[in-house]
Amino acid sequence: MADIAHGHEEGGGHHQLTGIDSRKLGMWVFLSSEFLFFGALINNYLLFKGRDFGPGTLYPVELYDIPFTSISSFVLLMSSLTMVLAHSALARGDQDQTKTWLFATALLGTIFVSGQFFEFGEFILHGLKLNINPAASAFYMLTGFHGLHVVLGILMLLVLAFKSMRTGGLSEAEGLNVELVGLYWHFVDIIWIVIFVLVYLIQ
Amino acid sequence: MAGGAHHHPQPRQYVSIAIVLAVLTAAEVALFYLEAGVDAIGQNLTVPALLILSALKFYLVVAMFMHLRFEKRLLSRFFTSGAILAGALYLITLSVLGAVVLF
Repeated sequence: MADIAHGHEEGGGHHQLTGIDSRKLGMWVFLSSEFLFFGALINNYLLFKGRDFGPGTLYPVELYDIPFTSISSFVLLMSSLTMVLAHSALARGDQDQTKTWLFATALLGTIFVSGQFFEFGEFILHGLKLNINPAASAFYMLTGFHGLHVVLGILMLLVLAFKSMRTGGLSEAEGLNVELVGLYWHFVDIIWIVIFVLVYLIQ
Repeated sequence: MAGGAHHHPQPRQYVSIAIVLAVLTAAEVALFYLEAGVDAIGQNLTVPALLILSALKFYLVVAMFMHLRFEKRLLSRFFTSGAILAGALYLITLSVLGAVVLF
């Protein structure tokens, strides 16, 4: 049963010469390429954040609510814990705990995204519209695309959790899916670790 | 089991790692608030300290939660080379455009 979550190499999985399941290898390569995607967005924001776009214009940095964003960051960080606990529970063959931790991860992700919606709403109410200046556009693009990644992760988690509920447990093939969704989820978390410091804390 | 999955941490260890991550996050936020109250030397140290704390959190999540520490080296190479190449590319771009001073 331990093989369910940790590997399919012996279970008739998709072998390669590398000895690594090809789907897992593909996920790591995909995540590696995502560095370029988010790197471009972070780069874009860093280029514009210190620039002067004329008097009277508003900058994202003037509206940051650090205590609020810190709590959001903490929530996302803890969702990585619940994700790894889901993976670990599946490795032990504990289907009930797997389901619980998958739902918990989706819930924490939803809280994080709701916080981001609230933040965007507050910023827009204060007049920081998407097209007010390049710094604001870059901020919304970066945090918005990150939020979109979180939403995709939540959907994948819910598909796994509901499938587990419906069928009474995840099969061996779906065990690898938990691992792959977990890798994606942790990646989204590490990207936020970088965004939180570079965008919010280093002003 | 390819990748040495037998050595994966136990749930209690995962919780310990999460506590360390929470403490590091609290330290980052504390540094942010302390920055305004310290002298110029202190302020110059704040940015490197924040970057180091962030790098530590990054490492802990990748190594322990994503299990990269326990996987085959090929995966580590893919991931770290992607991260290093992206980081270098953007650092050079930022430097050329004057947003970051490298030297």
